[in-house]
Amino acid sequence: MPAIRVRGVHKRFGPKVVLDGVDLDIGDGGSLVVIGGSGTGKSVLIKCILGLLAVDRGSITVDGVEVAGLRGSALAAHQAKFGMLFQGGALFDSLPVWRNVSFALPRRDGSARLRAAAIDNLARVGLGPDVADLRPSELSGGMQKRVALARAIAVRPAIVLFDEPTTGLDPIMADVINDLIVELVRDLKITALTITHDMASARKIADAIAMLYAGRIVWQGPRAMIDTSGNAYVDQFVNGRADGPIKMLKTA
Amino acid sequence: MTVAHDLVGVLRAIGRFVLGGLASIGRVVLFAAKAIGHAVVPPYYPARLAEQLIVIGWFSLPVVGLTALFTGAALAQQIFIGGSRFNAAATVPAVTVIGIVRELGPVLGGLMVAGRVSSAMAAELGTMRVTEQIDALTTLRTDPFRYLIGPRVLAATLVMPLLVLVSNVIGVLGGYALATTRLGFNAGNYLDRTIAFLHTDDVVSSLVKAAVFGFIVALMGCYHGFHSNGGAAGVGRATTNAVVSAFILILMSNLVITVIVFGGK
Repeated sequence: MPAIRVRGVHKRFGPKVVLDGVDLDIGDGGSLVVIGGSGTGKSVLIKCILGLLAVDRGSITVDGVEVAGLRGSALAAHQAKFGMLFQGGALFDSLPVWRNVSFALPRRDGSARLRAAAIDNLARVGLGPDVADLRPSELSGGMQKRVALARAIAVRPAIVLFDEPTTGLDPIMADVINDLIVELVRDLKITALTITHDMASARKIADAIAMLYAGRIVWQGPRAMIDTSGNAYVDQFVNGRADGPIKMLKTA
Repeated sequence: MTVAHDLVGVLRAIGRFVLGGLASIGRVVLFAAKAIGHAVVPPYYPARLAEQLIVIGWFSLPVVGLTALFTGAALAQQIFIGGSRFNAAATVPAVTVIGIVRELGPVLGGLMVAGRVSSAMAAELGTMRVTEQIDALTTLRTDPFRYLIGPRVLAATLVMPLLVLVSNVIGVLGGYALATTRLGFNAGNYLDRTIAFLHTDDVVSSLVKAAVFGFIVALMGCYHGFHSNGGAAGVGRATTNAVVSAFILILMSNLVITVIVFGGK
């Protein structure tokens, strides 16, 4: 049974239809990357899976549990299965790095143990203990992403969602983050769902790739087939061509 | 035909406005109920509560104290001038203390704290919303309402009465200082008259008003910040709306409490 199963999911905001019947399967321990242009509903999809947004129609099950209709402690238990790396990091400005990383760990462990756990997780993403007492505003973009990654895996979640993990980073730092994601997914045996429009990132992270366009999954297959999919939408996106079935306005 | 059509259009616009207003009131009431529930039901965040008590109470003390000091002194001067017109200048201590404790202390204190705290809360929570920090809390096994809203609402409701109590004392002392240095009042006599005219229900109503105003200040700051959207402009709108709505609700609830407590006397 897939870890995450999405069937016929619809979501609209007012008159704007964002998801128009999404079907998707993510296998246990697998790494699926959803590609698609800006504004195609990728972030909405993962917020629906996480239970932060309610779907209008359709079904999302995680480990066999239907997400729609979850409330209170049942919703909290569902969300506790996930870790998430947000696009901008979403680190808490008012807290030092070590408190950010250990935020979801049980407080009864005490400050010394929480700090030690934070430093251990920072080491996993290649950061030394010297950054533990810094504030997020004192870190570079790449370091913030690493800290956010350490925070996302600190509680060893079964599933981690990566929202545009390389956005805003230079190509070398983006590749470092990609390598870290691959290592963490492999070493911690995590199920990973990544959304991105960065094809270099998708090629590195993914076991399988799906493409979201106009609110639907227009293609899904193994990473190795991305260049020979035979799908016109995928070909245009992968090769970054302005001409093709995906129409973009050239003038605002 | 055209007149009827226009009339329907006007009625439709009025209907939309009324329904929109009622829906907004409903949303605020539900938010308030949820905020109270999360403020009083465990688990608690004592460190967050302590932080908010200091931010709202201690850091507001200078601005609220100065407001009370100047207002008390100006009030004493005005009462002296007005009272002199009908040989009632001696009422300065009595009217000053009643004016400060019943009305100006809590209302001006509430408005000053609203300007300082509602805006700060809306800006902080609004920024957390647009940078996805509130969503991040959810993924970190933390209820944003319990962590962010509950401590703020509880702290503001608890600390405002203390703040207003201090502000009332400072306001009365402002009047006392001006009356004894410029208006020729005897210091001991002024304080005796002040204490003699102050009743328990004056103080109780002042503290009840302060608690209600504190609740309103935090509620409006949190509500508008929590529902902020649209980037930096959205945070700006949330901040403005928080302050304006807090001001209006403070003045409105002040009238309601005043009529309830003193309307029959």
